[in-house]
Amino acid sequence: MKKRIQFTVNGHAVAVKAESHQMLLEVLRDTLHLTGTKYGCGEGECGACTVLVDGASVDSCLYPAFEIEGRKVTTIEGLMGARNQLHTLQKSFVENGGIQCGYCTPGMIMSAKALLDETPHPGADEIRRGISGNLCRCTGYVQIIESIAKAAEKEQGNE
Amino acid sequence: MKKYNYHRPQTLKEAFRLMEKYNGLARYIAGGTDIIVRIKKGVASPEALISLRGLEELRGIEVDGAGALTVGSMTLIRELEREPVFTKNLPALSQAAVALANPQVRNVATVGGNLANAAPSADCAPPLLALEAWLTLEGPGGKRDVPISEFFQGPGRTCCAPLEIITRITIPSLPDKTGMAFLKSVRVNQDIALTNAAALLVMEDGMCRKCRLAVGAVAPVPLRLKATESAIEGQKIDKELLGRVGAMVESEISPITDVRASEDYRRVVTGVIVGRAIKQALRKVYPDGQEVLG
Repeated sequence: MKKRIQFTVNGHAVAVKAESHQMLLEVLRDTLHLTGTKYGCGEGECGACTVLVDGASVDSCLYPAFEIEGRKVTTIEGLMGARNQLHTLQKSFVENGGIQCGYCTPGMIMSAKALLDETPHPGADEIRRGISGNLCRCTGYVQIIESIAKAAEKEQGNE
Repeated sequence: MKKYNYHRPQTLKEAFRLMEKYNGLARYIAGGTDIIVRIKKGVASPEALISLRGLEELRGIEVDGAGALTVGSMTLIRELEREPVFTKNLPALSQAAVALANPQVRNVATVGGNLANAAPSADCAPPLLALEAWLTLEGPGGKRDVPISEFFQGPGRTCCAPLEIITRITIPSLPDKTGMAFLKSVRVNQDIALTNAAALLVMEDGMCRKCRLAVGAVAPVPLRLKATESAIEGQKIDKELLGRVGAMVESEISPITDVRASEDYRRVVTGVIVGRAIKQALRKVYPDGQEVLG
């Protein structure tokens, strides 16, 4: 069963043909070629596919494509500022060694974005809880938590 | 992955009609964090999914004149975690929500879906059992109310007729001096429970007037611990009584060994966390606590 669905991705209105058994992740990667969002476990454990739907973090690998109708989706590509400037969170991950192989990073940063949108000054425990749905096999999380904490400080300085 | 149709009805009537059309080969989907994984693994292979996300009838939170709280079944786990009506009045249910999976799952998973899956480990089940919640089930023939204690029939099995949907969950009002708590034993934060437990105590003059205990992942269904409850009711909850709770709990449960934990481990840990949940619930009623715990 096929359907044309309309929604917003990173501020742009789009209309795509999707299959009833497809997930949002496939629409983003295969149809819209937004390959920043990664496929990891496919079952909601690793968070590599995390995107924001109407501001809330979700695993796009478990989000039925047909449910996206009329919603606002933000992917890692949507964090880019004017003149290809990296987002504060992205810069902080680069500067603080929050990235090693990089596969978990887009999902990790989207979870961090959802956290900071709601809790601008999180404590270390809140950061850990905020990224509890994202697995990283490289860093041991210490630098990721630092990256998020320092990004929060920086945002505070910009206010 | 198997292909299936996907429908987004806007009314219950339309949902029932679609379900009927597929003649038992369709499944309802709420947040989908369980059914989609099962389809991907090939454990479930419905011809269609009928989404309950568009049904306004299944949303909303209301408090009636008598103080009973009615919650739409499509209420998100995230709402149980955040909304003051739950965090302030039903902390055990909020604690269960916080402990359920991870933020991405909680943003789409629903309380009705967590119950309808009927996993013995469902985190919302013990607190709702301890709160003696009622579920409203609705099908093409009308609606009926069932106590949550009669809802679960076995792993993945409920008392729902084929087309029936949980529409609302009603939690009776609580007397003053009620304390409650939820605890869960896991390896890391987002794990499925090795065992989970909820305790609810109504106290009066230092005595326990009412005790409700419920546990999950230690029997084919989430269950109330009725023998332990009656041993506690009418008593002062002191060290001696708390010391006997573990053994009483162990005799009421029938855990199995699986990939997450052994039978023996589950038995012992359940006794321990039920005891801790009782202490935490008691501390909610008596924040100073010393005179009560002896």
